[in-house]
Amino acid sequence: MGDRAAKPLACRHADDAPLPAGGGGVVGQARNDRELAAALAAGDHEALAELYDRYSGLAYGVAVRVLGDPGRAEDAVQEAFLNVWKRSGGFDPERGSLRTWLLASVRNRSIDLLRGRGAHERQEQELRPESVESASWSDPWREVALSLERNAVREALANLPIEQRHVVELAYFGGYSQQEIAQMTRVPLGTVKGRIRLALEKMDSYLRGRGLVDA
Amino acid sequence: MPDHDELSSQVGPWVLGALDAAEAAEMELHVQGCSTCQVEAARLRGVVNALPLAVDEVQPPARLRARVLAAAVASGSPDRVDAGRRARQERIARPRLWAGLPRLRRAPAPAAAAALLVILLAGIAIGALAGRQSAPTPPSQVARYQLTGHGQLAGARATVIDLRADGVVLVDFSGLPALQVGKVYEVWLINSKGQADPATVFVPDTNGDKVVLVSRPLAGYREMAVTTEVGPDGVQAPTQQPELYGNLA
Repeated sequence: MGDRAAKPLACRHADDAPLPAGGGGVVGQARNDRELAAALAAGDHEALAELYDRYSGLAYGVAVRVLGDPGRAEDAVQEAFLNVWKRSGGFDPERGSLRTWLLASVRNRSIDLLRGRGAHERQEQELRPESVESASWSDPWREVALSLERNAVREALANLPIEQRHVVELAYFGGYSQQEIAQMTRVPLGTVKGRIRLALEKMDSYLRGRGLVDA
Repeated sequence: MPDHDELSSQVGPWVLGALDAAEAAEMELHVQGCSTCQVEAARLRGVVNALPLAVDEVQPPARLRARVLAAAVASGSPDRVDAGRRARQERIARPRLWAGLPRLRRAPAPAAAAALLVILLAGIAIGALAGRQSAPTPPSQVARYQLTGHGQLAGARATVIDLRADGVVLVDFSGLPALQVGKVYEVWLINSKGQADPATVFVPDTNGDKVVLVSRPLAGYREMAVTTEVGPDGVQAPTQQPELYGNLA
């Protein structure tokens, strides 16, 4: 599982990253996720715009990955942001980050749309979207922390044996059940269960070693 | 009835969303009463919550931002949640992948607040906004329809996005010619008898683009059409044949 001696990141989540104290310069007025959630709950549309600017690239990336269709991905992202907006009054930062909530909502909306358009209709081709690097970050510290976090997650996935990685991706990004995965891959159901368990255990160990998973 | 060992082996697949509906319901019930599995689920949920970060960012089309903000305005203010109720809910394990996320009780959104928020989104043409409320976890119900331009509007097009769960209809226009002074584009909803009801009016931006909200539900209408009419409020019946239109089915 890669370099377990690597030092934990300075903070657990980019979206919880504290702003640099004094002399932060360009960081200025960016709100952290807790402040943003409180503003959303108060009905502040500027907060929604800020949330969108901060996470739309990630959200759209997840939706495109699941749906393989940019148009449908827009719908999923829109629904997810609207869901967060409508339900922001119930957000509890102690139970998870705003980003986690938003991205889970995007994933679930995307899976719902995928299922809604037919029995596991899939787009197999790899999309090659434009301008991956052009997200509009206003907070360089958050950008660096998020980049480190994302690299760790990718490493954790990449370090899995391919059959374990495959089942995780089919379930999470493809919306397939373990039963369907067993049928698709012609592997016994018990083996699929075992691969999922092992994959999550290894990723947990890897990410926990870097202080990157929610307790 | 599966025993604990069997069910506990399903915690990972459950958190990952890899159980079918019946299995997931069974697991949810089990986890609610099993502290061991609650701890295990919470631990593995941290991994699952991190999985979206493995995906490359993709910059969405610029118009999506306007759509999201417009939809928020149309849907009214965020629902409010009772703190005591939330505390009780939090003692219960959460199903599905959005476990760990807020749950709300339904509450009406004041129309006045929605109207005030419209001001923040100047430039987005909006019809009358009624207070709306949505189900706590609405299923995805999005319908899209295309409007195609003809004649002088041959270069124009629009996508109608019907967010049924939230009672919001957006229309994303592009390629519209600039209007003469004093004119507006008027959107019509046409029923099965061919009767046209006015939906909203708007003026596109300098690029010929606009995201507008339609205050009427689309149920009962078979077509949407656009004409050029006298501004600023448009007219009650179209004065010309539409050159941008499409079916709502």
